[in-house]
Amino acid sequence: MSAQIQGQYFGKRGPLFRLYIVTALLTLVTLGIYRFWAKTRIRKYIWSATTGDGDSFEYTGTGLEKFLGFLVAIVILAIYLGIVQMALFFFGLNLFVDPQTQGQELAQIGAIYLTLLAVLPLMLFAQYRARRYKMARSRWRGIRFGMENGAWGFAARALGYYLLNAITLGLLNPLATFKLEKYMADRSWYGDAQFEQTGRWQDLYAGMKHVFIALAIMIVGGILGFATGSPLLAGIAIFVGYIWFLIGLLYYRVYAFNYLTGHKILDGQVTFEAKVETGRVAFIVIVGTIIIGVLMAVIFGVMGFVFASSMDVFIGGGLSQPGAAPSALALVTSAVLYVLALLVAGGLSLVIITQPVIEHAVNNVYVHNADHLNTIQQRAADEGADAEGFADALDVGGAI
Amino acid sequence: MQAQARFFDGESGQRLDVDLAVDTAAETLRLTHPDLPMGSQYWPLDAIRALADHARTDQLVLSLRADASLDSALIRTARLTVDDADMISILTRLCPDLRRRDVERGTGRKVVTRIGLAVGAVVLMIFVILPAMANTLATLIPIEREVAYGKTVVNQMERFLGGKRVGGLACTNPAGRAALDKMTDRLTEAGDLTYDLNIAVFDHKMVNAFAAPGGQIVIMRGLIDRAKTPDEVAAVLAHEIGHVEARDTTRNALRAAGSAGSAGLLALVLGDFAGGSAVVVVAEYTLNASYTREAEAAADVFALNMLDASETDAEALATFFDSLDGIERAMPDLPVYLSSHPETIERAEAAREFAKAQGRTSPILNDEDWAALRNICKDSPEKDTAEDG
Repeated sequence: MSAQIQGQYFGKRGPLFRLYIVTALLTLVTLGIYRFWAKTRIRKYIWSATTGDGDSFEYTGTGLEKFLGFLVAIVILAIYLGIVQMALFFFGLNLFVDPQTQGQELAQIGAIYLTLLAVLPLMLFAQYRARRYKMARSRWRGIRFGMENGAWGFAARALGYYLLNAITLGLLNPLATFKLEKYMADRSWYGDAQFEQTGRWQDLYAGMKHVFIALAIMIVGGILGFATGSPLLAGIAIFVGYIWFLIGLLYYRVYAFNYLTGHKILDGQVTFEAKVETGRVAFIVIVGTIIIGVLMAVIFGVMGFVFASSMDVFIGGGLSQPGAAPSALALVTSAVLYVLALLVAGGLSLVIITQPVIEHAVNNVYVHNADHLNTIQQRAADEGADAEGFADALDVGGAI
Repeated sequence: MQAQARFFDGESGQRLDVDLAVDTAAETLRLTHPDLPMGSQYWPLDAIRALADHARTDQLVLSLRADASLDSALIRTARLTVDDADMISILTRLCPDLRRRDVERGTGRKVVTRIGLAVGAVVLMIFVILPAMANTLATLIPIEREVAYGKTVVNQMERFLGGKRVGGLACTNPAGRAALDKMTDRLTEAGDLTYDLNIAVFDHKMVNAFAAPGGQIVIMRGLIDRAKTPDEVAAVLAHEIGHVEARDTTRNALRAAGSAGSAGLLALVLGDFAGGSAVVVVAEYTLNASYTREAEAAADVFALNMLDASETDAEALATFFDSLDGIERAMPDLPVYLSSHPETIERAEAAREFAKAQGRTSPILNDEDWAALRNICKDSPEKDTAEDG
């Protein structure tokens, strides 16, 4: 009675790349409207590629409901931002005037930050709503996941924890990570079974070690370099420390994922385990970024060369010469190539970075005492009025 | 044809390995398992749907069409996963609507309604709510803040017109200033004004004058050059004072800030390639035009009364409009309130009607002062050297 399930990912590069390009082209042709359907279709692919015990996950969201939710969100945001801007203007802060004095410039910067600050609670609200929507539209073995309403509570807590984090210069980051995940996890359900996040937030400090090491390298190296009067030493220390810091942040995210997954319990009986490796994830991200970067450099280099040589023809030939025609053609061709290159870059980043990372994570998640899952009953469907429309409008949550 | 498949009833997490059998005569798929109610289920082939964009090509996940469903897609919660290659090919052949996406009845109407509501709400916002708020706030805003903002606007305008520094374009010939003050005093002595006027003349050929919040008024040299009598300049000045007193520019700025907030967001999220900004620009223009018409008419009335009270010939407003009639309408630097041709004629007519009922009038400046005003931009001590064009 202690069956174990290991996650398995079946997605392939080719089909997903094709799906991305097709949906992105449709998005272009429909002036952006298709993006809701595009996102939905890509989610359907990734969800269905994820299996446990041979049974695929299912994403039941639709593009239409996302589109309608977006409409709702955009109206509310338009009203909200209109009023905020007018209020800011009333209090003497204006975003749309050229600043004349330093005081005005400061006031204007203040107004920009105030505008962003006014949107921040909405973005946090949107973040929770987006996760809730994704949960409500996910199924495994026909049983729905779900999440309770609590987006404003989340936004308020997140604001509080982020503020604490900012005041302590990031020292309380584990507290924010843990408490916010616990807030969401404790409100999550699979069918009629509730998740629970156990563990202690202090335990996450172990995951911060590389961040601290990186900071130490930067500080010690900087001081030493300053003391010995060697800018080279300080420069190297800061460079090494910075790279270390970036990897350290990734290490922390992976560590937190493993820890938080390992300390989740479903229905008081089913437990989880995650063995995601930082090295593997870092490898995927770094290699993928380099490949895409080099490819784009080559494509844009070639395009620039073609464009420049066609311009030569244009300038040399003059307007009345036949040389002018190919240059107009070259202009259109460059524009088309540019858009295509961007599409390819987006598709590549999905299939050689995002998908492999998901694949690695899924393949390294284990479910213990899985037999208990058989006894779980269906839960009622969650309508979810805005279908993460706020997240779409505010661009929260990224590609998937 | 027989095969096994995994069945989930959509009620519990229990997995049943059912036996499948296709009955071609009855056009059904039979699912058999001892734990199923009555031992078996029959799925009509034409009601079977496969899940779309499924990642695994060696697998088919089937569901049944529903007439109404709480979930977004019109399918029931039960799922059947088929791995058997032969069964997959048979089902693909026999199920006529396997790949069909069912859409709930009335979806089209729902979409149209929602789009209509969204557009309506934004229109209501930009054309009703924000202007109403702007009206209220314009009367609440402290005068110092208005003055500070108005000065910023004037400085910005000066820079835009080519001034290299603050005050770089201002014409300060003492005799000219004195004439201008004389004109202003005569216009304003009759009534109390809320704002202290701060009137500047800019050395620019544009035939224009404008008001900014907090009593700031700027007259361009081009306007003084074109005016045939001092009364014409006075008429335009009175019109601008009307704008100042009605807080038109403050109101406009507040409204613009509000609609820029919401419209800017729309442009941002709809993306430039959805033509969002074009829509916003058109909306803003329409809105501005309708406001401007009302505000201009009110400022005209104010100006006529002011001219009357100071015993200046109100027909000057009409003759100034007439003199502009010669200028090409397409001229870009025509003042906004003069730019729509038929209305200019109408407004000139109204001024003429008003002037008929006027009592005794006298020119606002004597010839000497008028000459001084016309030379206000010559020998200005603080001005940058004029760059005429």
